[in-house]
Order: sequence, then C-alpha cells, then structure tokens
Amino acid sequence: MSERLQAASGAGRGPDADDVLSVSNLSTRFFTEEGQINAVESVSFDIRDNEILGIVGESGSGKSVTSLSLIDLVESPGRITEGEVWYRSPDLADEFRSNDAVSVDGDHVDLRTVPPRVRRSLRGPSFSTIFQDPMSSFNPSITVGEQIAEAVEVQRRATANPRSTRSRTQGYGLGQYLLDGIIPGRGYTSEESMDRAIELLEQVGIPDPADRVDEYPGQFSGGMLQRAMIAQALAGEPDVLIADEPTTALDVTIQAQILNLLREVQEERGMSIILITHDLGVIAEMCDRVCVMYAGEIVERGTLNAVFDDPVHPYTEGLLGSIPDLEDPKPRLQPIAGNVPGLLDSEMDDRCYFADRCPNAMESCLEKPDEIVVDAATEHGAKCVLAERPYDPDEALPADYFGGDSE
Amino acid sequence: MVSARVIRNLKKEFRNSALAKIGLVLVISIILVATFAPFVATHDPTAQQLDQSQLPPVGFSETAERTSSQMVDGEIQTVTETVEIEPDPDHVFGTDSLGRDMFSRIVYGARTSLAVGVLGTLLAAAVGVPVGLLAGYHRGTVDDALMRVADVSLAFPSLVLAVALIGLWGRAAVDIPDPFVVAGLAPEMPESFVLPITVVIVVGLVNWVWFARVARGEALSLRGQEYVKASRALGASDNAIILRHVLPNAITPIIVLGTVQVAAIILLESSLSFLGFSGTTLSWGFDIAQGRDYVSSGQWWISSIPGFAIMLSVIGINLLGDWLRDALDPGIEGEGGAA
Amino acid sequence: MSFGRFVLKRSLQGLGVVWGVVTVVFALRFVTPGSPINAVAPLDASPETRQAIATELGLDQPLYIQYGQYLFKLLQGDMGFSYIRGQEVVGLVFGRLPATVELALAASIVAIALSIPLGVLSATRRNEPIDYGATLLSLGGISTPNFWLGIMLILVFAVEFNVFNTSGRGVDVGDVALSLVGSEPFFGTLLAWLAYITLPAIALGTYFMALITRLTRSGMLDELSKGYVQAARAKGLPQTLIRYKHALRNTLIPVITVLGLQLGTLIGGAVITEAVFSWPGLGTLVIESINRRDWPVLQGSLIVIGTSFVLVNVLVDTVYAYLDPQVVND
Repeated sequence: MSERLQAASGAGRGPDADDVLSVSNLSTRFFTEEGQINAVESVSFDIRDNEILGIVGESGSGKSVTSLSLIDLVESPGRITEGEVWYRSPDLADEFRSNDAVSVDGDHVDLRTVPPRVRRSLRGPSFSTIFQDPMSSFNPSITVGEQIAEAVEVQRRATANPRSTRSRTQGYGLGQYLLDGIIPGRGYTSEESMDRAIELLEQVGIPDPADRVDEYPGQFSGGMLQRAMIAQALAGEPDVLIADEPTTALDVTIQAQILNLLREVQEERGMSIILITHDLGVIAEMCDRVCVMYAGEIVERGTLNAVFDDPVHPYTEGLLGSIPDLEDPKPRLQPIAGNVPGLLDSEMDDRCYFADRCPNAMESCLEKPDEIVVDAATEHGAKCVLAERPYDPDEALPADYFGGDSE
Repeated sequence: MVSARVIRNLKKEFRNSALAKIGLVLVISIILVATFAPFVATHDPTAQQLDQSQLPPVGFSETAERTSSQMVDGEIQTVTETVEIEPDPDHVFGTDSLGRDMFSRIVYGARTSLAVGVLGTLLAAAVGVPVGLLAGYHRGTVDDALMRVADVSLAFPSLVLAVALIGLWGRAAVDIPDPFVVAGLAPEMPESFVLPITVVIVVGLVNWVWFARVARGEALSLRGQEYVKASRALGASDNAIILRHVLPNAITPIIVLGTVQVAAIILLESSLSFLGFSGTTLSWGFDIAQGRDYVSSGQWWISSIPGFAIMLSVIGINLLGDWLRDALDPGIEGEGGAA
Repeated sequence: MSFGRFVLKRSLQGLGVVWGVVTVVFALRFVTPGSPINAVAPLDASPETRQAIATELGLDQPLYIQYGQYLFKLLQGDMGFSYIRGQEVVGLVFGRLPATVELALAASIVAIALSIPLGVLSATRRNEPIDYGATLLSLGGISTPNFWLGIMLILVFAVEFNVFNTSGRGVDVGDVALSLVGSEPFFGTLLAWLAYITLPAIALGTYFMALITRLTRSGMLDELSKGYVQAARAKGLPQTLIRYKHALRNTLIPVITVLGLQLGTLIGGAVITEAVFSWPGLGTLVIESINRRDWPVLQGSLIVIGTSFVLVNVLVDTVYAYLDPQVVND
C-alpha cells in the first residue's frame, strides 16, 4: 500500500486498476492584473470505485478550483498549467491507444492530453457536479423539469451513439436550435427525457414530481432545489459525482437529509463521490478517505480515522481543534491564528505555507516539505516535518519571525 | 455621496479604460471651444460673403456648375459654366451657400448644443428629481399619480411632443451679450449669443420624467434603509430626511443619468433645429438642414461637417457616461431617451 | 395569476394610459395662445367659420361638457375636421399610419436581426477584434443623429452610386404582397420596394441596432458569468443551448423592457427620418400640420402616436410574460 501512497503523492507512477480517477501534480493558476495566483499547487490524489473521498479546507484553499479543474471548467484568467488527470475508460483508451499525442496507461487515459471536445463530452455522463448554491445554479426562467430533462438528454444522446462518434454528435449547432424552435413539437429535450426527469425527482424524494417539473426554481425551497440538483447530476449516470459544498447554503436540518440522500445514491448506484467541504462534521459523517487542503496544496491525507484520530499536520490539528465537541465541551475552542494566504505567486516564499500560522514552526519549515508517509497501512501521509520527528523547541522559529501579526 | 471610495473607483476605471480618456478629452475640448468660441472662430459665423460661397474644405477641390446672369446685347441671359473651385486656406472647412465660414459656424454651434444640452438637463433634473424623490419617499397617492403621469408622458415621443409644443408656443430666443466681445477682446465676432429659450424649456419639460423615474426608484429603496428609519424615529421631518439622507445617496445614479441626458438633449436639439423648430440659426442641426439641399449638387461638406461635430460631442459625452456608470455602477443602463 | 388574466390586466392599464393621452391632447387647446378656436381655425378663417368651430368645440358649454363631448366624439371615431385641408382628420391620419408602421417595422427588423447576433458574438469573443469592432460600431450608432445619417446615406448611395431612391414611397409592402398573386413580376416589385425603403430603414434602425447591441453584449457577459451557466456546462449541455436557450433568453428579458421604453424614440426618429426621405407617413403629417397651423390634424396624430405607443408596450409586456412566466406572478 505504500506504493499507492507514493503514486498518489505524485511519484510518477501510473494509476491503479481500481482508480476511477487519478490526479497527479495538477496545478491551476490564475493570471490576474494583480499577478499570478497559484490556486492549485501540484495536487495529486485518486478516487476509487465506490468510495466517498473528502477534500476539506478553509475557503480560499483551492478545493473548489481543484474540482473545476477535474472537469475542465476553469475559466479565464485561470488555466490548468500542469498535471495529469487519469480517467479509467476502456473505450477511450482503445480509441486513443494509437494516438501519440494522448497518454494511455492500460484502461486509463490522461484527460489533459485528449482533445477538448472529448473532455467536454465527459461532462454529464462521466462526471457530474453539484454546486454550493442551488438557487444560482438553476436558470431562474426555465422550469426545473426542463433543466433536468436537458441533463437526461445529454446522457441519452451520448449513449445512443458509439463511443467514437460521441463527441461529434454532441455538437448541437445554432441551425439545429433555430430549426427546433420553429418546428412545433421539437426541441432539445423530448417527452421521454421529461418522463425520466420526473422519475429522477421522485428518486431524490421530491413529492408530486409530475407537478413540480413544471415549476420554476424560484418556486422551490433551498433544500428541494438541492435535491433537484442531485437529480440533475444523477441524470447523466456518472462514474464520479463531484459535490462542491453541497450543504453549505442550506438550513442545518436540511443538511442531514441531503447528506443521507447523497449516501443513498452512492450506495445504490455504486459510483464514487468527491465531497468538497469546509465542514469537518460532514467529512466525518460521510467519507472513507480524506484530503486536507491548505494554500492550494494537499497537506495531509489518509483514511478518515487515521487523519481524524491521529492528525500529524498542525493545520489539521488546528481544524479539528476549532470544532466544538459535544461530548467534551470543556476545553475552549482553539481557532487557528491568522488568515489563509492570498496565494499570489510573488508573495509565496519557498517554504511550508503554513509556517507563519503554525504553533510548532521550526527552522526546517523554511524549506518546502515533501509528503512523508506516516502510516502506509492507512495511507496516511503529511507534508510536514513532524511526520518524521517530534517538535523540538530548540529549533523553534522566533514568534515574530514572519513579522509578528501576519496578515 | 461622493465618498473616497467613489473617487478611487473613478480613478481606477479611468486608468484602465482608453475609451474613458478619449471621452474626457472630447468633452473638455468641446467645453473649451464653446466657452472661448470668439477666440477659436476665424470669422464671424453669421457674416455672409456671397463671392466666396460654397468653397470646399481645405484638401478638396470641386467642380461645380455655376449659373450667372449676364447682360448680353441688352438682354439678360443665364449662362451655365463648369468651374473648378479651389479651397481657400482661410476657410478650412469651406463655406456654405451664403459664403459663411463653416469652421466658425461649427465652433459657435458647439455653444448652442452645449448650452441647450446642459440647461435642458438641469431644468429636467430640477423638475424631475424633487417630484421623484417625494413620490418615492411618500409612496401612496402621490406616487401612483406620478407613475400615471410618467406613463402618459412616455407615450409621447420627446421629439413629437417638443415639436408640437414649440409649434404652439413659437420659437422664442434670448440674446445674451458675449462678455469677450463686449470687453472688446474679439471685436469682429457677434456681440451676443442667441439662446433658443423655448427649446431649452421644452426639452426640459419633455425629459423630466426620466429623472423622476430614477429619483423615485432610489427613494423607494432608500426609504427602507435603517438609517432613514432611525432618523424618522428620532423625529426628523420628512423634508429634512429627504434632503439630508435620501438625496445625497440618490445623487450618483442621477449624475449618470444627467450625463446621458446631456447627450440625448444635444441630439434632440439638433433634430429640432434640423426641422426648423429652433430660435437660432447658429446650430449644427440648422446647418445640416441648409446643406441638405446642396447634397445632390456636390456640396457635400455643408451637411457632413456639422454631423461629425454632433457625433464627436455625443460620443464624448456617452463615453464619459459609460465611465461614470462603470465606476459607480448604479444600474441604470439603457434608460434615458434620445431624439 | 394566469397568462390570460395578466394580459387582460395589462390591457386595462394600457387603456388607462390611452385615456391620459387623450386628456393631455384635449388640454393642449388651453395652452394655445389666445382662444381655443385658434387651435382649430385657419389663420384666415371667416367669422362664420370661427363661429361654427366655437359651436363644434362646445365653447359655450361648461368645461366638463366640452370634455365629455370630446371623448364621446373620439369614441365614435370622430377626430374633428381640418378646415385647412377640408378633410376629416381620421381619414388623413389613418391614411398616413401604414407608411409609418411599415418604416418602423422595417427599421426594427433590420436593427434586431443585426444587433442580437452582434451582441452575442461580441460577448462570447470578448476582447477579440469582433468585440472591439462591435463596441465602436455601437458607440457610433447611439451617437449619430439619424437625420444626418439619412442624408449621408443619400449622399453615398443615391447621389454617388445612384442605387437607391431618396424620397417617397413609390411601392409599399402591400404591392409586394399583391405581386405574389397578381400580374406584376414579384422580384421586380420587391426590388423596387427595397429601393425605397432600404435607406430610411437603415437611417432609423441604426440607433436601435447600436443600443440593442450594447444591451445584449453587457447582458450576455453578465449572464455568462452566472452560476447556472457553469452548472449547465458541468452537466454537459452543448454550447449552443447554453448561449441561446439559457443566457440569451435571460439577457433579452431586460433588453425588452428597455426597448419598450425606447419605443417613443423609434416613433420620434420616424418623424424626422420621414422628413429626410419625404416618406409620406405620420411624421411628415405632424410637421406639415404644425407648419400650416393645422391643429386638428396635429391633435389627431398625437392621439394615434400615443395610442400606438401604448399598444406596442402592451404587446411587449405580453412577450415578456411569455419569455419569463414569473412576471405574471409578480
């Protein structure tokens, strides 16, 4: 298993057979007027069959950009500058095996090397996404049913054609759209896809789905709309479901229902979920394995128990220390001092990015740490010198080393 | 309220936008030209020199057919001859059919356009803003009445209403002595500036409703704000609240609208003078109208040049308006009628 | 509220505005210098004519009776009599209306057909040459006086190249329709019609083309940055549907509101465009009647113009409610 950890931390080995998706050394940068922002910094991880992988971090840690990078939805001025995204698809692998420009490894294809239209064709049928705010993720002037039917139609049209021509037939041009608009009874969506939308709404627990398909997003409550978004994501029958803060915008009572629903659909359909959240409670509830992100990097990873019970990185410890514990409410909450760094390339020193906030910062933290295996059995690794040796007060950096009260 | 943040936004937007810079340069040039017209103009714009009529602009020569009457053997005969007309460097933009210098007419036309544009806008704002603020603040009957009046008012196109009112009231103008000429600094220029006062009043009355709409919208949203409620709870009078709290916070969108309105009123004024509904003959629209008859006979410049003047001024003001809107973002894009 | 009830409610509101329009026009006779008789009588009218007018207007009656009679006559389709032309106003005004409607429609079609694709292209290819071109074009378009543009078009296309007619309306759209079934050659009639209408339609339509391009561009940029567009991309929806079915539809909703408000500008623009091209529509009728002090015709024209504005706005709101069914519930 230690090889696996090595692979996942970017030691250059190819993906394993049970990896649905294997990401290696992925970097995404934003080229803004203020300068270059390193939103995602050489991130590697993999998602296996039937698991829920959690990615946790504060806002601004790069976790959402990581998810957008996976489905190639980073928008200008952002760009994926480096990395490989290996996706397991025997069809695609066969299609591109003889193509020198595309990297193929067994059943896996590096999506960074396939043509953009192929990547685009994977959205929906291969990767679906649930976004944080359901209200803004639905078009307010189109009925909920119609929008879910669109997702169904994407899937229907994709599977109706052989793999090799899929990307071509997905093209739906302006001429086609205008023609469908003029001829009555035609349109992108069909009656069948609308029926399927009703089924999906029923599956995610929306009462009277046949009536509600004709309603507009504004007529739904937040929780119902998030269910509808899950229905929309399931429409594509994806291999991987990316849930980006799926419960953050919801009331606490609704949150648990949505999480239960996610778990149910994961178990029923045997798909894999990447759950992105800042909420450690959600991670503890849901995930098999977890990656902790800080300043665009994965700073600690491992099985849920390994990371939660035995955190190595002081940042993970800090995160865990800043949530209230109902069973033991006595100790005061320990907030992490300071703020998440701005990720401006020009302001990022070549050191452990957490050192300026770290209570245990040492002189060796002024060098960039590699990921160190803590426990191969639990795939536990951390980008921290403390994984190798205990804290030594003699080597501690002076308290005002980073200019005292660091911003 | 013009806070430090607003000024910072204005500066930032200005630095980033080449168009804003062009707009500011255009507008400042027009203001300078209009103000110092007697020094910029090379001739008296109203002086006719029939022997120098229809001269083309510098850089163009024209062949034209000239008819003249001559006494031949005691009879009057009409002779038509084709002549080559060379431009005169003294008249850079050429001359019109009565031999008036086009460049000087353009310079003085800027005065008319700008005066009507600014005064008309101020009048429209002076009527529209108080009405809109009161209606939006008090709501109820006053507000309903205002909205109905606004609906009816919008049903008449500005140009049609303006033409009808000027047709009814006549084309009055007032002579305002030109201080530079009175002081003897530019003795050969016209002694007074003719302000078409009916036009100013009519465009003001026709366009007040845009200001009323915007002011009402702002007052409506501001009246619910906590600090307004607090002032009311403290016993401040409604008028005091409107003056001290509502107006200052509503001023930004009103300024943006005002900029757009100056451009719209300049276009409206030029339309009115083109149709002959103005009290002055020193106007770009008037010159376009008088040049129109010469378009088919080859004297293209009499109509063309004033049009470019209008276009440049309106582009300048619109760019300025875009800059203000982008920097202040009051969300009133697209409102404010033109001619 | 159902769609039908919304349309009904909006129509009743429109009727209220028309009543206001009519009342304002009635009130115009009191802002006429001198007696209201002057607002009707020709300058050289005989005392008998003046007396007849005074009786017709009911000037010897109390104001509310005058007003009541005026409304009553209007309802019967009586807009008064033009003593200067010796004609009923109704016939004159409605005789001129089709020409103006034809011009305004042609201009709107030219404007909408060009501006929406241009605005979309400009927004989807932001900071590319086509975006800069569209931005400059639309800036010029909203800043150019349409009557001057008309004269320049005449100068270039009619005087220099001699390809279009510069005045009048020799062939109307009805003739083109008739030629489809009649003996006239269709294409010949169509070309003749185009020769008359092209330049006025461009002169009148340019401002709107520019305005809609600007609104579409900024609206599209706004919509394309919204969450639902990202969500639509993530679910694999084809680009065409994201742009046109989702983003453009939401862009057009506010654009339609602004266009409704700007309709007065279109009619005002038609007045002056007609003056440039001697187009025999309501605009030239308005100018003629003011110049000849023919007030009954002016009043009749104002009523028809105001009513058309209201009518089109009700139609616009209906389209709006169709595009965004939620406004029905507001």
